[in-house]
Amino acid sequence: MPSEDPPGEPAEVIELPAASRASDIAVNELELVYAFIYARVGNRADAEDLTQQVAMKAIPRLRQGAPASAIRGYLFATARSVLGAFWSTRLGLSEAELREDLVLVTPTDPPSEEGAATVQEILERLSDNYRRVLELRFLHGYSLKEVAAEMKSTVGAVKVMQLRALRAAAKVRLDQ
Amino acid sequence: MNDKPENRIDKIVSDLLRGKRLKLRAGDAEEKAAITTAARLAGARQGPQRMHPAFRKRIEQTLGQGPESAWVTRRAAIVAGLGLAVGAAGGGLVGRALAPEVAVSYGARPIEPVNGRWFDVAALTDLVEGHGKRVSAGAVSAYVFRSGDSVSAVSSVCSHLPCELWWNAKAGVLACPCHPANFMPDGLPSSKSYHLPALNTVHARVTDAGRVEVWGAE
Repeated sequence: MPSEDPPGEPAEVIELPAASRASDIAVNELELVYAFIYARVGNRADAEDLTQQVAMKAIPRLRQGAPASAIRGYLFATARSVLGAFWSTRLGLSEAELREDLVLVTPTDPPSEEGAATVQEILERLSDNYRRVLELRFLHGYSLKEVAAEMKSTVGAVKVMQLRALRAAAKVRLDQ
Repeated sequence: MNDKPENRIDKIVSDLLRGKRLKLRAGDAEEKAAITTAARLAGARQGPQRMHPAFRKRIEQTLGQGPESAWVTRRAAIVAGLGLAVGAAGGGLVGRALAPEVAVSYGARPIEPVNGRWFDVAALTDLVEGHGKRVSAGAVSAYVFRSGDSVSAVSSVCSHLPCELWWNAKAGVLACPCHPANFMPDGLPSSKSYHLPALNTVHARVTDAGRVEVWGAE
């Protein structure tokens, strides 16, 4: 939660609202963290593992007394760190090399809307063929064969198009 | 044929669309942009996701300090950089840690994982004097530094906010991405203004064969 720290000063331990049960607040906020993480790793098993890591890293630092927004910011800062470590480990790259891909904004609105809007924006900025192949494959769940039939192409050509479309989509994201 | 990037990416995409974990291997980093984008698209496929009820229940039980907190495994705790705290608490990590007065304290003590063992992490010749190299010894992640023919290592987790440090080569410090805090290669905080705890040290050694090993855990 670097933006809420005074410049040059480390953040203090985040305090939980005294009137609320710490575990209730944490679980509710972790729902948002889970959605945020799931939107970036795309599968339940990894999302659960990473959410668990966020809980274990961040919650020991929470205490009674501070606004829920601060708790959310703290949890999302931890989530960004955990995601960075996840991609770094899976891809065998240093986090510095991945840093540009991990510009993750802490959402104030429900992450669901944020994630969906971003993906739609990415798809809209692709060429027709690239958008179509990604929409059919990811959003409609078509198999390669079905995509090939739909686009009157071959499986091999669709595979290549899928790769190129993903590369193009990644560039759209980086340019945003 | 399977080595063609389009085949490899399609395998990853197919796994994601079947709800499987991301299983990556050496060489996939070349397509990191495509892979992270595929994960993102897969994540958006079914719209907003909420925790599975069973997972949420486990989280609630853990935070509620119940006996079910054994669900938090030692390995997971060590992954989270809290191995020593778990050892001290003897279980119920998260529940205990929620107690108002409890704060996890870190110091310059070495990390001593239960059931630890040496992990081969690099060749000594891979390390450059004055530059930190991030390594993983199983569940323990660390930055290793070379000094002549010997090495030293510190935890890669910040001693103040629980974030993964990154090596700022220009400044020669380990920087925390979560707040303005830097640490020297020996683990001491670079700023004298704030009394941050030093990073935990990690046991490291050089074998006769010139390999660097770090004391970690499965």
